[in-house]
Amino acid sequence: MATLHLRLEPRDGEPFRHEVRADAVVIGRSSKADVVLADRFLSRLHARLFRKDDTWFVEDLGSRNTTFLNDRPLGQPTVVRPGDVIRLAESRLIVEDPDRPAPSGDGLVGGPDERLPGSTVLRSATLFLSPEREAATQGEAVQLAGRLRVLNEVHRALAAPITLEALLDLILDRAFAHLGPEEGAIFLRGPDGSLHRAASRQAPGEKGEPLFSRRLVQEVVDKGMAALVTDASLDERFAASESIVVSGVRSLVAAPLLDSEGCLGMIALGAKQRPRPFGEDDMELLVAFASAAALRLRNLALTEETARRRLLDRELELAHDIQMGMLPRAFPERPEIDVAAALQPARSVGGDLYDVVAEGERVWLLVGDVSGKGVGAALFMAVTKTLFRALAPAAESVAAAMGRVNRELARDNERAMFVTAFAARLDVATGELEYVNAGHSPTYRVDAGGGVAPLGGPVNPALGAVEGHEYQAGVTPLRPGDLLLLYTDGVVEARNASGEEFHALRLESYLAGCGGAGADAVVRGLLGRVEDFAGDTPQYDDVTALALRWRGRGA
Amino acid sequence: MHIGEERVGGALVIAPEGRVDSVSSTELERLVVSRIDAGEKRLVLDLSSVEYISSAGLRVLLMAAKRLKGPPAALVLCGMGPSVRTVLELAGFLPLFAVEAGREQALARVRG
Repeated sequence: MATLHLRLEPRDGEPFRHEVRADAVVIGRSSKADVVLADRFLSRLHARLFRKDDTWFVEDLGSRNTTFLNDRPLGQPTVVRPGDVIRLAESRLIVEDPDRPAPSGDGLVGGPDERLPGSTVLRSATLFLSPEREAATQGEAVQLAGRLRVLNEVHRALAAPITLEALLDLILDRAFAHLGPEEGAIFLRGPDGSLHRAASRQAPGEKGEPLFSRRLVQEVVDKGMAALVTDASLDERFAASESIVVSGVRSLVAAPLLDSEGCLGMIALGAKQRPRPFGEDDMELLVAFASAAALRLRNLALTEETARRRLLDRELELAHDIQMGMLPRAFPERPEIDVAAALQPARSVGGDLYDVVAEGERVWLLVGDVSGKGVGAALFMAVTKTLFRALAPAAESVAAAMGRVNRELARDNERAMFVTAFAARLDVATGELEYVNAGHSPTYRVDAGGGVAPLGGPVNPALGAVEGHEYQAGVTPLRPGDLLLLYTDGVVEARNASGEEFHALRLESYLAGCGGAGADAVVRGLLGRVEDFAGDTPQYDDVTALALRWRGRGA
Repeated sequence: MHIGEERVGGALVIAPEGRVDSVSSTELERLVVSRIDAGEKRLVLDLSSVEYISSAGLRVLLMAAKRLKGPPAALVLCGMGPSVRTVLELAGFLPLFAVEAGREQALARVRG
């Protein structure tokens, strides 16, 4: 190690970095020390770091509170290496490896509960931005006018960039031009609320990344305060004409990136060699500056958000197209039956499905509802529908057909997706109905006299849930004129503005009045009822209904 | 959604609260998957604070049961209110789960 690289975290000051090029350096509270740390518990000359051959040592200079190396009190001069932590009173020195800068990560140091330096001034940023603020004196008026000119320039400059990177770069650029710091950084809030350093910059000749204390950042970002920190001992030192070689001598201004929607992050500027420390006028200027930057950042975020939403919308449209494209709109036309079905998709795209397949003297019916929503549900629905079409008509029974569809769906089904379904097969010549309920709402039978009753029979697990399940079917003969209604729970679980459900009772009373209505009228009428009931309440689930009336043999 | 978690002996009790619908179930899924991935072998799902469970929520229960296939039962459900029980029953899922009335019985069974 030729030179020694230190990161210093004084108790009462902002953290900073320092490279020791001399052969020895004395650290203490006194202005006679080479490196002055703002820590009132430090001895005047507390510890010394020195080089012997090519090795660096640390020794205690008989301080009141002694010196600790990696939490061990120092007895005699001891070798220091990168990664070592030297503690003097309540301040810390971290020895860094210049080739591998310590993982300060976000550029924030210290805990969130640490105290702020005594010389910190905090002001509510919104107060500065208040439009009612007027200049009281001519001097203030001139200052205000100057600030407005700067802001105008900043606003115009920030209008151009279209990427976040370019915008952040330009914000720092303007901040350096108008406020003349040695270092600056912009911290932005992530989607989870945590802060990260999005950009930083240093004046030529400065080394290492700028450091800021976590506690300060919290004050600025969480409370919307503008902050001004100056080293309290600075003026005294100037007065004593001591040469300020290095020290925690530093002043800092920070302002929240605030707009009407909240705080996006903060901008902080630090100065060491600036002719004079930052003052309240600098803080005010930075607050106004930051609000201009916040506005542009928000606009940029909104543009990105809009683009993302458009993409998501397209994906939902795709899911919707997959779903609707799978559903038959024309139904088998035979004298013995009258059949119709419809699906009203929810905005979020669920996974309802229906199908009607005629094969010889038999008509197969299917209504299903996939667990979950979105593109995944739509695709699972498409798979289910395809399997049903391919496997059902060739199967010897409804139970066998469901067993085969289930086997395919349950295979490699890591996410445990499933589809509740009601499948039935009607012999149009005899009126015999065989059906399987796989975890689905029961189908209603409405007789010619208006009697409404659910079809009973065994309930099986939903399709896809249990590999190798043997499905149990129910069988019942239909009488001529009987109407079947298959539906999904989107019908009975539709809600109105007061949170009330449409419920099976409303469905039953609707069906009781369906008398001799055609299947299409029954389906359209039901969907209309549900829609009227829900009113302006957004439809949360797909709503599906399938109606079939058996007219009887030789009808 | 708040999800309670408590370790009792060699078992982990997970207790979701409120509505387990297509939005909140992803949270429950993430938690359950991460615990099973981390090697959890005995899980009790306490549903006593669940007001409503949708099919998306059922999917999470089913997935947990598949991943912790018994016997002896490695996943036990307890504290099921009538509405949650009805949803499980209608989906034909009740026979797929080991179900106990209270947390104590569930813990005894999952340890057995």
